[in-house]
Amino acid sequence: MKHKGYKKAIVRILGPGKAQYLRISLFCIFISLVAGSVLLLLLGKNPLEGYVSILQGAGFIPKARYAGHKSIFTDFMSLVNYTTPMIFASLSFAVAMRCGIFNINISGMMLFSGFIASITVGYSSIPAPFAQILVVLIAVVAGAFSGALIGWLKHRFNANEVVISIMFNYIVSYVISFFIQTMFINPTTRQSERVGDNAMLTGVDTMIGDLRMDVSYVFPLAIIAVILIGFMFSKTRIGFELKAVGMNHSASRYAGIRIGRSVIFSMALSGVLAGLAGVSYYLGTFASIQPRVVPSLGFDAIAVALLGNNNPLGCLLASFLVMTISNGTTYMSSRLGVLREIASLITGILLLFSACGGAFKALADKYKEELDNEIDGGESK
Amino acid sequence: MADDIVVLDHITKRFPRIVANDDISLSIKKGEIYALLGENGAGKSTLMSVLFGLYEPDEGRIFIRGKEVKITSPREASALNIGMVHQHFKLVSDQSVTENIILGIEPTVKKLGLFSKIDIKGARERIKKLSADFGLDVDPDAKIEDLPVSARQRVEILKMLYRDAEILIFDEPTAVLTPQEIESLLSVIKSLRDGGKTIVLITHKLDEIKKVADRCAILCRGKLVGVYDVDSISTQEMASLMVGYEYSDEVNKEEYTGGESILEVNNITLYNQDKVKVVDNVSFSVHKGEIVSIAGVAGNGQVELADVIAGMLTPSSGTIIYKGNDITDKTIRERTEAKIAYIPEDRQDVGLLLDYDLSVNLALKSYYHEPYCSKGILNPSEFRKNGEMLIKQYDIRSSEGCSTIVRSMSGGNQQKAIIAREISLDADLYIFVQPTRGLDVGAIKNIQERIIALRESGKAVLLISLELEEIMNLSDTIIVMYNGRIQAVKKRSEVTANEIGYYMMGAKHEA
Repeated sequence: MKHKGYKKAIVRILGPGKAQYLRISLFCIFISLVAGSVLLLLLGKNPLEGYVSILQGAGFIPKARYAGHKSIFTDFMSLVNYTTPMIFASLSFAVAMRCGIFNINISGMMLFSGFIASITVGYSSIPAPFAQILVVLIAVVAGAFSGALIGWLKHRFNANEVVISIMFNYIVSYVISFFIQTMFINPTTRQSERVGDNAMLTGVDTMIGDLRMDVSYVFPLAIIAVILIGFMFSKTRIGFELKAVGMNHSASRYAGIRIGRSVIFSMALSGVLAGLAGVSYYLGTFASIQPRVVPSLGFDAIAVALLGNNNPLGCLLASFLVMTISNGTTYMSSRLGVLREIASLITGILLLFSACGGAFKALADKYKEELDNEIDGGESK
Repeated sequence: MADDIVVLDHITKRFPRIVANDDISLSIKKGEIYALLGENGAGKSTLMSVLFGLYEPDEGRIFIRGKEVKITSPREASALNIGMVHQHFKLVSDQSVTENIILGIEPTVKKLGLFSKIDIKGARERIKKLSADFGLDVDPDAKIEDLPVSARQRVEILKMLYRDAEILIFDEPTAVLTPQEIESLLSVIKSLRDGGKTIVLITHKLDEIKKVADRCAILCRGKLVGVYDVDSISTQEMASLMVGYEYSDEVNKEEYTGGESILEVNNITLYNQDKVKVVDNVSFSVHKGEIVSIAGVAGNGQVELADVIAGMLTPSSGTIIYKGNDITDKTIRERTEAKIAYIPEDRQDVGLLLDYDLSVNLALKSYYHEPYCSKGILNPSEFRKNGEMLIKQYDIRSSEGCSTIVRSMSGGNQQKAIIAREISLDADLYIFVQPTRGLDVGAIKNIQERIIALRESGKAVLLISLELEEIMNLSDTIIVMYNGRIQAVKKRSEVTANEIGYYMMGAKHEA
């Protein structure tokens, strides 16, 4: 009987019905917070204090004191600046996934477009607004190109996109690190030379009033992307076709949809978004490229998109959540005196549980079925 | 009675919205073939699931060999020597026949008095013997994935026999088989009876019952209509009892008068992925107001030919002329716009997007143009309007109307949805592939009448079916395909079902 109660509870919380995906995502967040609390308790820290300090670090709750020219607002702006690439990257994953393609080349695409934009515009002396616009355009073109290439390979040769994507990550990473190390290396930082402020998509240390903060110029573009992608999937013909192809190739073909075109288009669009993630990362959050490293953000974006159920608005919220924790833990580690690695673990736990949403759904659906059968059987007694 | 091996006494089983079995009492004699006849949803499968322990009855008692029993799981049913062959086989495809059969009850031998080892050799011998005893012809070492559907079914039968089943329940065993395979299955069922087994056969195919069954119980909407000796009742009577109203086999239609040519297929040849010639130099034509049907045993290239005409496959050579234009290289959408409608064989995987709702599926071929879509933006209210109209017109039943997710609908209603959509395209050529497969008598009749109505309104119809009866009823011209080639082309009025049957087996060759 007790056993049944536990199943009933799971079905009630996560089972089929209204907003099931939302409930599952919230549940994932909840249990990762619980797991994080256990971790902090084991380290002898107060979890509540830990989470408060995370929110303080991310700029949601005021800290006890601030350095000069800093305030809760500067912390929040810095969160926005860090979150922008994540929004683009998680959207990039979601767009491909809706069309049934698992794009794990986001990191590679980010690196590719970031590198191209750095060497063409980043090291040039083109004046500010034009350079920045040019950076965005280059990202769009470079991303679209690399996405379409993968889509085309998948369609033309029926190649597995996961394998191609992984290989492309390596190819891009090593080829670019070759160029960086031979041509663009800064001998002291062992990274590529810093790009000029004229090309930066983030206004670093911009003075607004009395405050000094990092302002992401492309954050509004990320919001527009969320709205446009959402509109595309819910209202337009092309969005319908992409989703149909993602569900069932043969039925889509039968309906007259050109599968190849849809696959290539969705990968190109995914590439555009990954490209924007790349430039807002390498010419925004950071200003240089570390050779032989692909950005882990491109992989984290997969879990973020899954947490957001591949829904554009969901991606936006999930990006903010994950980056809040990721950003806030820096402050937490200094406040509570835990290692930075431990703090990062909490982000890791959240990403881990985010990726488990599908498993929770399957479990709840299974229990629901079992309970339904039992109710049927129970009536006879 | 002493020789009644199974007695069901006033069984009632209710589901949330319907009474699936309403006070049903049956007694089955040892060693007979007992058929359960009824339309889809009449409660046959539910009743047998009660006997097999999948459902518990709400009321009523079950007696096996004279003793009252409670069967709460298939395991208990198995202990009572009851076995069931389900419609969907439950086999592990990359394991051998023997491994599948012994799964769950592996016999073991001790090696060196220490290690127990599965006695696969002994099991193999036993399976071989069982297979030979009942004429099942199954190789115990073959892998399941290499076996055709009919052989997999025989593996399921062996699985029951291996577990010493005495009472064998077959749930619509012929639904997935070709005519020849059906024949051999029926003879297997007979030999099982002659070997002393008791057989319960769930089916809605009357001729099969006529061929093998001793007695049949007819269910209609959850109620038992009656139990009859098969010898003393005609198929006509069975059919009308089963549907609950007078059923006539005859489909009324006018004599074909001839019209202008709509479709000309010239020398089409198609190789499949394995470079096997599946369609071999096929030519024929379809005219206005004519139903041309392609008969043939499954897998003789008919379905591929339909796919070629509809644009789903590209022919290796040959041309397709539609209304005087060569459409061989046209895309699927261009063909749809040229007014070719296609009802594909696989309704779930090809004909519908199962995870979309009914309104979208009812406009799946026209979603991209006005009024459903203007300037790239979809208009959901137009989808709903069209959906509601077709649902009403074609009596498509679903739980939530337009917003029902198609996956949750019954097969018959899914097929109705496809047919409603395709007919609403107002095409000039209709290609139907197995339009009535797996449907009950009422639905079959409804669809056949729609096909006749299309012909009457001057449309050209190409019908591909495995059901000889359907072909004989509907066609004006019959083409028989065998091994990818056209074996014969006959006017309906000049040919008998038997002759067509011979051509289907490849017996007589005629150009």
